[in-house]
Amino acid sequence: MNLEKIEILERTLKRERAARKAAEKILEDKSRELYLLSEELQETNLKLENLLDEKSSELKGVFENILDAYVVMDLSGNVLKFNDAATALFGYDVTKEKLNVLNLIYEEDEVYAMTSFGELKTKGFFKNYEARVITKSKEIKWVHINASIIFDRNNLPIAAQGIVRDITHLKLLEEQKKQILNKLEKSNEELYEYAHVVSHDLKSPLRTIDALLSWIKADNLEKFDSETVQNIELIEKTVENMDSLISDILSYSSADFAAEEVDVNLNKVLQNIKTTLFIPTNITLSISPNLPIVKGDSTKFQQLFQNLISNAIKFNDKEEGLIEIDFIEEPTFYQFSVKDNGLGIEKEFHEKIFKVFQSLTKREDSTGIGLSIVKKIVDLYKGNIWLESTPNVGTTFYFTIKK
Amino acid sequence: MNILKRSLNILLIEDHMIEIVKFKKTVSYHDLKHNITEAKDADEAFKILEDKNNLPDLILLDLNMPRISGIEFLSILKKDEDLRHIPTVILTTSDNQKDLEECYRIGVSGYVLKPLKYKDYETKIEAILTYWSLNELKKY
Amino acid sequence: MKGIVFTEFLDLVEEKFGIEMVDKIISESNLESEGAYTSIGTYRFSEMLQLLQSLHKNSGISIDKLLLTYGEHFFSVIDKSYSGLLATYKDPIEMLSSIENHIHVEVKKIYPDAELPEFVVEEKTEDSLILIYKSSRAMHHFGLGLMNKTFEHFNSSATIVLEKIKEDGTEVKFVIKKNPHESREN
Repeated sequence: MNLEKIEILERTLKRERAARKAAEKILEDKSRELYLLSEELQETNLKLENLLDEKSSELKGVFENILDAYVVMDLSGNVLKFNDAATALFGYDVTKEKLNVLNLIYEEDEVYAMTSFGELKTKGFFKNYEARVITKSKEIKWVHINASIIFDRNNLPIAAQGIVRDITHLKLLEEQKKQILNKLEKSNEELYEYAHVVSHDLKSPLRTIDALLSWIKADNLEKFDSETVQNIELIEKTVENMDSLISDILSYSSADFAAEEVDVNLNKVLQNIKTTLFIPTNITLSISPNLPIVKGDSTKFQQLFQNLISNAIKFNDKEEGLIEIDFIEEPTFYQFSVKDNGLGIEKEFHEKIFKVFQSLTKREDSTGIGLSIVKKIVDLYKGNIWLESTPNVGTTFYFTIKK
Repeated sequence: MNILKRSLNILLIEDHMIEIVKFKKTVSYHDLKHNITEAKDADEAFKILEDKNNLPDLILLDLNMPRISGIEFLSILKKDEDLRHIPTVILTTSDNQKDLEECYRIGVSGYVLKPLKYKDYETKIEAILTYWSLNELKKY
Repeated sequence: MKGIVFTEFLDLVEEKFGIEMVDKIISESNLESEGAYTSIGTYRFSEMLQLLQSLHKNSGISIDKLLLTYGEHFFSVIDKSYSGLLATYKDPIEMLSSIENHIHVEVKKIYPDAELPEFVVEEKTEDSLILIYKSSRAMHHFGLGLMNKTFEHFNSSATIVLEKIKEDGTEVKFVIKKNPHESREN
């Protein structure tokens, strides 16, 4: 081997060595990297395992601690698991005896139960199932159930779970509430009828008195002196006041008796008032042309507007009286106004006037019930009533009616 | 007036004595002599209505009656093939809207609220009498 | 550039020209690595350029020819180490057209820092393919060598015409036509 060849080989060897060392270093670096990575992975794994443990113990806690009954069953309805609440509710100890949920169904609810069970299988869940069950001790209980299918890793249904709430007590209360409401409605109706009968019985004698008085007058036209005639007229006036008092008390007591709600066109209601109410010639009643249609009892709305308008007429002292009916529409309610240019009301009476029998002026033609009726009707339709007034200038009553 | 007026056979069903007097007095002032039959309650009224040859032209009915109420009476009357055609007008002090609607539903020819003033009462009764004496009734 | 490209290159030089040639081209070049290559290392591309230049000078063979031969040789390296990857293909046209979307993706998984050329499929039929090669390295003949061997691997052959789109060879069009009725038995 010549010298040159030897030198070449030596250089080659040197390069090979250097390459080997470089490779070893690279490998060493890589394996350190790998080691650190696996350390890191192990740590992450441990954390994940802890988390899983935590989750399953949390779940176990939920399972044991929820107040509602928790049931796991296979797809044919065989109960696999009851929590304590379920055991207490149904009375079966499923660790000791076999139970299929079909045995729990109350006969009358069977069709509903089977429909819901079908829904569970096709849709994967059902919600707000409410029906009766029969417990081991043959007790009937109302339950509310939300259920869902449990799937395995391959998304195949393997079981079903349900949360069952005992709503027997709630159902009982609901039933009681219904009965009480029914009773209340009935007694309200009776009261309404009774008020009408009483008013009839009170009004009849007044009619008799008036008839008798008019006959007495007719028969003794020449015999009576002027004082007697005056006294008789006073009796007649008193009878009239008595009659309107009875009418007002009747409408006050039945003001919150709501008839069936229908659409009420207030334009028609106001037109009716305009034609039936006596409006003196010096008073102009101006009504906004496009009053809304509201829901309620038209008689009530008639009473409401009529009372406010007749008040405005009664307490108007101006040569040219003006009464204006207007409204504005708000998103959830209508606000009406009845404006007059009459006597006005002092601030201190603004609250008082809505109380029953509170008349500001002792007047023969005023029973002091009108505004109380108005207030009651506004309350009935969940509205508010208030007023703005300047004595001797006029008053505006505002009230709202919920849409 | 040249229109032919008819005097009426009226059945008044009313239990209150003064009310009967009021009605009779008012009728007596009318320019025609009407024949009034009184019944104090529903039973009495039905007894009178048994005579099918002598049925009234008009029934005036008070709603407030003892035992069988005016509305019950009306229901029975309007179910009876022989009697249902007789115009029946309610005379009452009760302005119970429910009663009014119920009466019109069953089938009344009028619903008259008795006013307080005797003068107003006369006006209303005269209007009824005039209407039924002027207009057509079922012929027998 | 990945070390395996250097080690395989030098092995081939030794096989074809002898160990003296290897020593010569390393000694003549100014190499940061001093020629001590390991297949798992990474080295500058300029070292490969110098080695090629030197070999060209000493052998009188053109650089393109050298790269072609090296490419043909390198296919056997791939075949040895990644036969599984090759086995997923039944047809050379299929395989070549998936360089960009499959093969290079896999290479990147193994060598994340590998700098790979781009192979854009411009046209493809059952037995023809037009690929656009793009790389600052201008090693298109290395690619050509690999392509030839690819056809051989599937017992077929092709006529591959190479058109430079850019004069410096950084963008080249490969027009590949599979030869008909050929089913050579090797």
